[in-house]
Formats: sequence, C-alpha cells, structure tokens
Amino acid sequence: MQITGMLWGRKLLDLVEFPHSEVRGPELSVDEIKDMIKRHGQVFIKPVFKGGVGKKGKAGLLGRVNNITDALKEKERLYFAEHKVGDSINKSDGVTYEGGVPADYEVYFSIADNTKYRAPTMTITHHGGVDIEELDKDKIIEVPFDPLTGLKAFHVSNALMSLGAPSEIISPLVQNLPKLWDLFNNYGMTMLELNPIRMMKGKRLTPVACDFKCAFDIDDPAWKRLNLPSHIFASDYSEFEQEINQLRTYQGQSDVFVINENGDVTAPTFGGGANAMVTELLGESATISSDFGGNPPYEKMNEISRITFNHWLGQSNVLFVIGGKANNTDIYETFRAIADALRTYFQEHGPKPLFVVVGRGGPNVIRGMSYFRDTLDQLGLPYRFFGFDSAMSEVVNYTMKVNNWMKNGGAEVIKGKMNI
Amino acid sequence: MHKEGIKEFPYYVGINSLDQLATKDDRVVVLNILGNESSTVTPISHEYSGGNVVFGTGPGKSGKFLPTKIGNIPVYNSIKEGCEAGHKFNTVIVYLPPSGVKDGVAEAVRHNPNLKKVIVLTEKVSVKDSRIMRAICQTNGVDLFGGNCLGLADSWNHVRIGGALGGNAPEESLIKGSVALFSNSGNFTTTIAVYLATGGWGTTTSVSSGKDVYIQYGPQEFLHAFGNDDRSKAAVLYSEPGGYYEYGLTSDKPIVACVVGRWKARLTKACGHAGSLAGSGDDAFAKERWFMDYFGVEDIYTPEKPIFSKKGALVTNIAHIPAALTAVMKLNGQEPDFAPKGNLDLKCWFANNQGVELPAELDIQSEEAIAPYNEQIAALEKHVGAQFRRETLKDASGASMMDPKTQVSRIHNTSILDASTHTFEANLVFALVRQYPCEYGEKIANLALNGYVSQHDQATLAVAEASRANGNSPNTVAAGALSVVGKKVAEKAMQASQALLDIFQYEKMTDPCEDFDYSHLIDKGVEQASAFLADEENGCATGWAEIMNSAGKSVFVSFLQDLAKKQGKSLTLDALMAATWMTLGWASLKGKKISKDTLVRLPWYSRIYSTLVGITAPAASQTDSTFCGVELKKLITEFSFTRTAFLALMGREPSDNELYEFQVLLGLIITNGPGTISAQGSKGAVSADGPEQPERVQVNKAFIGFLTHTGFAHGGNGYEAAAFLIKQFKDTNLTDAADKNHGLDLEEMALTCAKEYGAYKAKQKAIGNLAFDKIPCVNHPIFKGKEVNYDPREVFVNKLFEEKGLNNVFLDYYHQLVNGLFKAKVSKDIYCVNIDAVIAVILLKMVWKEYKAGKLDERDIETASFSTFLFGRMIGCAAEIDDHTNRGKNMDTRTAASQCVYIS
Repeated sequence: MQITGMLWGRKLLDLVEFPHSEVRGPELSVDEIKDMIKRHGQVFIKPVFKGGVGKKGKAGLLGRVNNITDALKEKERLYFAEHKVGDSINKSDGVTYEGGVPADYEVYFSIADNTKYRAPTMTITHHGGVDIEELDKDKIIEVPFDPLTGLKAFHVSNALMSLGAPSEIISPLVQNLPKLWDLFNNYGMTMLELNPIRMMKGKRLTPVACDFKCAFDIDDPAWKRLNLPSHIFASDYSEFEQEINQLRTYQGQSDVFVINENGDVTAPTFGGGANAMVTELLGESATISSDFGGNPPYEKMNEISRITFNHWLGQSNVLFVIGGKANNTDIYETFRAIADALRTYFQEHGPKPLFVVVGRGGPNVIRGMSYFRDTLDQLGLPYRFFGFDSAMSEVVNYTMKVNNWMKNGGAEVIKGKMNI
Repeated sequence: MHKEGIKEFPYYVGINSLDQLATKDDRVVVLNILGNESSTVTPISHEYSGGNVVFGTGPGKSGKFLPTKIGNIPVYNSIKEGCEAGHKFNTVIVYLPPSGVKDGVAEAVRHNPNLKKVIVLTEKVSVKDSRIMRAICQTNGVDLFGGNCLGLADSWNHVRIGGALGGNAPEESLIKGSVALFSNSGNFTTTIAVYLATGGWGTTTSVSSGKDVYIQYGPQEFLHAFGNDDRSKAAVLYSEPGGYYEYGLTSDKPIVACVVGRWKARLTKACGHAGSLAGSGDDAFAKERWFMDYFGVEDIYTPEKPIFSKKGALVTNIAHIPAALTAVMKLNGQEPDFAPKGNLDLKCWFANNQGVELPAELDIQSEEAIAPYNEQIAALEKHVGAQFRRETLKDASGASMMDPKTQVSRIHNTSILDASTHTFEANLVFALVRQYPCEYGEKIANLALNGYVSQHDQATLAVAEASRANGNSPNTVAAGALSVVGKKVAEKAMQASQALLDIFQYEKMTDPCEDFDYSHLIDKGVEQASAFLADEENGCATGWAEIMNSAGKSVFVSFLQDLAKKQGKSLTLDALMAATWMTLGWASLKGKKISKDTLVRLPWYSRIYSTLVGITAPAASQTDSTFCGVELKKLITEFSFTRTAFLALMGREPSDNELYEFQVLLGLIITNGPGTISAQGSKGAVSADGPEQPERVQVNKAFIGFLTHTGFAHGGNGYEAAAFLIKQFKDTNLTDAADKNHGLDLEEMALTCAKEYGAYKAKQKAIGNLAFDKIPCVNHPIFKGKEVNYDPREVFVNKLFEEKGLNNVFLDYYHQLVNGLFKAKVSKDIYCVNIDAVIAVILLKMVWKEYKAGKLDERDIETASFSTFLFGRMIGCAAEIDDHTNRGKNMDTRTAASQCVYIS
C-alpha cells in the first residue's frame, strides 16, 4: 500500500500544511499548461503510476519543459509510459504537471521504522535530489527518535548542524519538517519520503516538496481516515490477493502473493517458515505463496480455500497442503475446511485430475488427515500424506516429481481413471 | 529514553543469560485468558510448567476461571483487580486482539512495577503500536517479545511461557539438550527442535521471535544471553528476509544459521529510498552473505557439499540443520546430546493411487507412523466405509448432476453416455456401490437379480395384476407392487450382511475376489452362525454357491461354506444373497465410496430391482417353473438381467443386437440430475422418513416416491415420438426397422412430412394458434443456432450403433427430416435430432415387428415405452435414494413457507 508522486502526495501534505510545488493533474488544458509555464518558467511532466513505483527519473520518465510544444510532446510520451522495476512492469495512466521551483538547495528527508535502531528514524541530507544510496555516508544522517514524543525541531536542527548544512536552510526546515511526523504518525504510515524538498527562494527560504512517496501499514486502520479512493492501491494487489485480503483478521493468517500466474502447483502453506521454504523450493511451479497458519477457524479456512481453489485449482496438477508440526493450529479444523472446499469445488466446477500431497503435524493431525483422506477417496483423487517427521524439503521434492509426472501424461491417466 | 539495562546495548535489555528467559520462578498473567487461542494453549503451558500462571484477565469476566488439570486459573476484569487480590507476577502474556495489545501492555507496565517480561502473541499488531509498546517497555525496564510470536520455552527448566511451542504435546519436541534455538517462525521453532532430535541434539532455550517489522527481542540480545548460558553449547538461528537484525552478529560459541526466502526479493515493490534504507539490502541473499562472512565460509552447507567452519555453518534448508550442526560441533570437539531419534526420510502415513499406476519413484507405500500417531491411525482403521457430511439435499445430490453446458447428465461422475455402454445389471450395481462390477461381479449380480425376478404366486404380482386390470399406468402398477416389498422381505439377508460385515470389517481385505486367509475368523462366524445357516439343506442355495464358485471366487462364499461344513449345517438363500452383495460392495466400502449402512441395505435394493422387472410380465406368463416361457433355472443361471428385463417387457427373448440397443436405451434414461421430478419424488420420500436415522428409511417407499413422480408427462411422453413415427411409417411396407434395404425413399418421405408440417404451421399461425403441435425430438434449446446442429448425445449413440453395424430406419428418417424441414423452409437452419428421438427410435424398432404383425397395438407400445423408462430411471433413482439416505437431513426437501406463493 504505497503512494508515489505528487498527484495524491500534495493532498496529504496539505493535511499538515507542508508547502509543495503547484501540481495539476492530467485534466489540464493546453491554455492552462501555457499559463503554468508562464508562471513557473519551467514545468515538470511526470507519468502517474499507481502504487509504489520508484526510480522514474533514472529511467528517463521525467519531462522538463519551458514551452507548450515540448510540453505536449512530453505529455504524449509519458501519458501511457511503461516502467519496469525489478520483475514488475508498471503502466502509467496520465501525467502530472508540476511547477518548477528554482532553488540552490535540495534536501532529502524521510521517516521510516529502522530495524538497526528499532525506532522511527529520520534520514536527512541537504545533498538531496539524487539517488540517495549513491551518496557518501558522511553526507547523510540517520536520527532515531522516541515514538512517544515524536520528531522534534531539535532532532532536525542537530542533524543539519552535524551535517554542516548551510545555516540559511536550517531554520525553515526546523520549522516545517516536524509537521511530517504528524502525517506519518497519524495516518498509519511506515515510510514517508520527500525527495527533493527544494528550498524556494523568497524573503527567506521555504522548503517546497517536489516529490512524494509513502507506504501505509495494512494492519493500521488509520490510513482509512484519509478516504483515499481504493483504486490507488489496486495495482499493489492482484484480484486474488484482494479477495483473500478481505478476510484479513487477527484470527488466523491469510497472507498471500501470486508467484506465477501460469504455475501448476497450488500450495496452501501453513506457517511463515514453511511458506518461505516451500515457495522457494517450488520456484516457478507455484501459483501462489501463502501463509494460512495461526489457527484459523473453520469458516475462515473454508472461505480462504474456496477462493484459492476458484482462482488456481483449474490450472493446477498438484494440490500441496504443507506445514511443519503446528503448535496451536487445529489440523482437524483446517483440513476439514480445506477438504470441504475441495468437495465444493468439484461440485461446482466438475471433477478434474489432481494429485494431492500433504505434509503436516500438530494437534489433531490424524483426525484431520483422516477427514481429508476420506474426502479424497470419495472424489477419487490419488494422494500421499507425509508425517511431520519427514523432511519438509523432501516432501516438496516429491511434489515436484509428481508435478512432472502429471505434466507428462499423468494427468491424462488420472482423468481416464476418473471418467472425465 | 530507556532504563539502564545491560551496558553493551544502546537500548534496554534485561536478560543476561538464556537460563533467565523462562524459569520456574516466573509468575505469569495472561491477558484475554479466556480467548479462543489462550483457552486452548494456556492450560497446556500451565501444566507443562508446573502451574506458573497466577491469573488471567478478561473484561467483564471476573469470577470466572480457566480449568486446567492442575487446578483452575482465576480470571479478573483487569490487572489492577488481580493485583488488588494479592497476586504477584513478573511476566505478562498478551492474547488480546491487535487493537487492544498496546493498551494491555501499558496497563501491565503501569500496574506492576515488578514487571520484567511481556510476550505478545497477537498477530497483525500495527507498526505504530509496536513502536509505542517498545518505547513504554524500554522506559520501564521491561523485556518485550513478539508480537506475532509463540513465546519462550526451556527444556531444562520444563517451562513454557506464552504461546504454544511444542504444540499440545511439548515433551515431544522440547527435549533437553545443548542447543539454543532462535527462530523468526513459530512453527519452525518446534519443527527445527524435532529435526534436531533426529541428529541427536536437544535444546536448552527456544525463542520464537516473531517476524513483524519490530522484532522486539532480536538475535543480538539472544546471542548475548546465549554467551552467558553455560548449558547452551551451540545456537541455531532461523532467519527470514527483512531487517538488519542479523547484521554484525558474533558469538564465542558455534552457530548454525538457516536463512530462507530468496524468492521474497522479487516481491519487493519499488518503494522509495526510505524503504530501501530501512528495508532493502536485507533480503535473503544479503543475510546469507552476513553469516558466511562471519563464519568464514564461501558457500552454503549442503549434504552434497558440506562447507562449514569452527564458527558455524549456513544452511538454506531446515532439514540440513542437524547434519550441519553435528559437523560444526565435531570440529569444536562436541558430540551430540543423545542417540539420534528417528530420521528425516520421507514417511508416508496415508497413500492411495485410486487405481492409477504410478512410476516406481512416486509409488511410495504407507508405513507405520511413530508413536502415538500409529495408535491413532490404528484406531482410524476401525472407521470402515464412507462417512458423509449431512447437509440439506433439497435440489442437490451427491449422486447425479446435469452439466448445463453439455446437457449430458452424470451419475457418480460417469456420463450417461458412458453408462449406456454398460449392461443393465452393471448399472444397477453401480448406482449403489459407485463402481462398476468386474465380469464376475456382473455374473453374480445376475444370479441375485434373476433369482428373485419371478413373482409367481407372490402378493406383488397379485397387486400388479389388480392394478393393471383397473387401468393404471405402468408406474402406478409398479408402485402398488413395491408397497409389498417392505423391509421384512430382505431382513434376514440384511442381517446376514451385517453379520458378515461385523466379522470382516477390520480385515485388510480390499478385494474379496482374491485369496484371503480367513481361518482366524471362523470362530467369529460360529458366533453368528444363525444368521447364515439352517439345518435343512436348500437346493437353491447350494446351487447358487456352486455357480458362484465355478464363475470365480468370493471370499465370503468360501467362508460361509467352510463355516457350514464346520457346523455341519447348510447355507440359507439369505446368506448367499448377503454374500453376493457383500462381494459386490466390499471394494467400495473399503475404498470409502459407500457407507456400512449402504452395504447392509443392498439385498433390499436387489429385491426391489427384481420385483419391478418381475411384475412387468403379466401373471399369465409366469408359472412356478417358467418366466415368459423361459425355464426359471435357465433364466437364473444363464440370463443376464438385461435379457430378463427385455423378456419381461416384450414377452420374447431379444436378438444380440436388440439386447445391445436395449442396454443403451436404458443407460440413456438413467438420470437427468436431481431436479427431475422422478428424482425429487424419491428424495422427498427419503427426506420424509428422516435419513438422519437411516435404518428408518423405507427403501421400497422411496422407490414408490420415484414411481408416483413419473406419469404420462414424465416417462410416458416417450410415446409421442413413437406415435409420430408410427404415423409416418404405418402405411409403408416396412417390416424390419433394422433392414438397410428397406426400399423406402426416406428423403422424399421426410420432405413431404416437412412440407405438410410447414403448411399446418402456417395455417395455425394464421388463425392465431401459437400452441400448435410441434414435431417431437427435433431441435434443442442448447444445441441450436449453427447452420447444421447436432445434439452430442445423439451423435455419440449414432456412432456407437454405426460401429456395431446396427441400422435403424427411424433414426435415418429423423436425420432426413431435419434436412427436409430446412429445405421446406420450416426451419432457418438444420435442426439437431435430439436424444429423445434416439430413445424413441430404439423403442419403436424393438416393437415394430409385433406392431406390424398386429400382436401389439399403439397402447401396448405406449405401455412398453413407459415401462422401459421406469427400468432405466430405476437405476438413477436407486442412486438418489441411497445418496439422500447417507447425506441428507430430516425433511430437508421441504420449501420454507416464506418462499411459497399463494395464487389467488
């Protein structure tokens, strides 16, 4: 759940009255663009991406114009621009027009929870506007602070002094930056970054935010106070993830990621460790990565399974239910819920060839396995259930071999046996 | 701002040695003690630790208690109230919902200046609350653990605090040893302990740290305390990506680190530099590198390539931890704590190929599980047969379904098209036992079914005759007869089935047609001998057994014969009936396809099947030694039940081709899903009896429900198509509908008919009659709209007959007719010939000779058509009746009054 760019960033900054550049959205007319150029001398044209998309400048996805002809060219170039970050390709939908802010100083500022200090930490430098990782360590400073009192003026002042920042920028920053703690702290953020803050000239310097990034904590409902339209975050999650996320409560985990939309092993996984390991070993065979541990009640597990099966079972060769030896999760409840969801899937979608592999331990494991086994017998699906004293990695390897066999004719054999 | 703790840390840490983490002296308070998770976990922790929980809280729950085996734990509204009651404690466990966690921690700190440890189990605590909790605890000198963790455990102290490390049987995994365990994963804390035991390593203290953004008690603090704990000779750290908690770790003692989660690196969405500073550079690859640099190794330890140093080893698979640890410790001169307990080889506890031949490497056999799970599995084996979940089966079925796309119905997941390639008797068995019988199975089914088909001198036939004489339709006639076939008719055979089931149910015999040593069961048989044996020899029973033995092998028959021999008595017919159906249903029972109740009831179904076919033949054609002119002995021993059914219907034996066509015809009629009226009738009858007490369901009454829910519109309507064809062909010289050289110009006949119909249709429309007669069996609401349309079911049967070289002039005519309708511009495209036409043309072909010879009139054809429908649908409804009895609820087919409509 992230926001990048000034289109929405300016609205958040307005909440704490932090100055920002003039920002207009894609609705701007030619005359209005001309007017902006006239007033600011220079206008930045930036593509609008949903969710968290960084490093746009490096990718050349930034237009800097001072006449309407170039502005329209840049608008055309950037309106539906594509931006590849890691494995994900993002497509913009519109552009923003941001008035240039002439300045001699550019400041980088962020607040985030820092695991080194185990405290919220301000990171600041007056050598901003560049890729911050490339900066020498002595030009940037991290200042952890007490979350009970928050970011204070003296934190900013001391930090800038120790960096040797020009004195003319210190006072305006000391006055304005602590406001950002209110934004960070009151609306459930885990990260807030302004880069650059340009120190606009005037009677005295004014810090003006020219780019904005933030991330929200999905487990903190405070972000809902902002009434942001849900489409802003839509690209962060697939349809499947969104559907599962609706079931997010503290009773039982329901964390999922889509790994490969063309995968053929669907593995409801129990426990963060099992999830980390199994997803790694399954690699591209996995449709999803999941952690359904935490002793989910029957109803929740059944619903999670139903959604998971509806999205992924159709393309899967193997249903792989895997976890370690549960501490608290009632295996009977979870397996009953999964088995019933599988039966429902067959009732609604008709039978399909599937091999089921299970590896699990914990409270009521035999009762749970028994229920699951009986369901599979009734559905006519072949299976192997492994005890928790089998190495989990070996169970994954077995699953991979089954998947290979299924891909190379095994599925057809089962299909024939099931009279499909 | 933080209280002064251990000096090495820039923040407060109070725990100096691992042996202080979970001690016998710790006194614990549990917040939200009566919550779902706590009420399961806390009693086990309390008992394992010798009673360390002093009280729990739950707003508004003061005065209640949490029962444990070693006494009740009192519950108070708040910590304040518990303190005022005089309780002392130093540790708080938090099971509150996420939004209440921070306040719970604040409450604990505020009201107890002696508080030293807080362990937060709750998941999904917001980052903001984690920050604040940490700040509160830091300020007040309290060690905080979690959230989203499973707490602490100490095998030496026999103490578990917070959460459920070791699950409901802590002793199984918390085995005393020399390894300190720290894990980001709660589950892996226990799983790694189990794995360590396979290498001969036990544990000292286990810490489940949680894996939230804030890991409040991290590896730095853990390793500090590990260094000061003399009991701990080595540490195992399990880490996942995220955070710099493992950066720069050092220890004087060896460490095995397991880092898992490389794949998570690619999930990272670009989230700006602040995110990078706080979050990136800390993926699994980075953490692996930190550990490798510290250990001074260049690669990951694997069994194939064991790389390690005296300082430790890095693994990326928890299964490699025991071996890596043993290797590292050996270098440090340390041997395992005890002899290895078990191993990590694949151990399959349950396996079933469902008849699929798997490659050898995949075909892993099940083996005995470790104790106590082996005993639990052994107890499971006592659960014989399927146990279905009961649910409301109104308009729902576990036996049949109609695929709305293909319009092909399925019974027990077999399409009726495929079912139609099986014999009548095979389908009758399949309906109940959910798998097709083998050749031997069909033979013995024929024996049981034909053995009771004659209704001579039976009340059933008398009722049927009376009903027929008074002008009732075939379904009404059959319903009357079946009302006589009450439970008592089959009671003794069912008792014999129950006795055989009691004797054999726990045996590992899956196929009763294969050799099985039952010698140890004979004594049990003696106890139940009265269910099987009689003093007088019954010739029929003896003959039945002989035929079964000569046709193949049934363990049940052999068993009964040996029993009879031992007892010096003779087998009864009921015993043979039971043995026959036990043989037919046993594999399904063991494969959990059917319930024990179903298996025992099979003889009753068998008698109903026989009766419904038997009463179709008029009384005049049944004598004490013949049935429709065939010697009973011959019929019982040589006829298939399909042949018998044809005989009962037509009064003559079929040719081989006719027999095949008849079989296909019956198969096509089996079911149209649970929504059809006949299925609804049978299900309603079961529902009304109350399937939750299956022994009270009257099977014959359920068949009557099916029969009364057929009629001239449902079951009798097949005649419409026959009547249409009769009209077209009665004035022709056609004598044999199978004759390819019939000499008729079908194209011309069809075109003429189409033109006449076109003129008729135009005239009716002109006078405003939109309810004009339609040509039966052409066109279909689904299979339409293309230039040339086909009903795939008709195509299937047509192909089947073509392959067999079976000709049917009426079907050929229908194909011409749909073309003729198009040519005559009655239809916009070429209609399909639908499946009902197939049924009609097969039936008409069967009776055509008799009709032309004047032996049958049109009413007889209608009766034969209707009876044929009843035979076929009997298969589907038997499946519905049994399914509803097993899965349905009492009165579940009723419609709520709120959904009923009053029409004024």
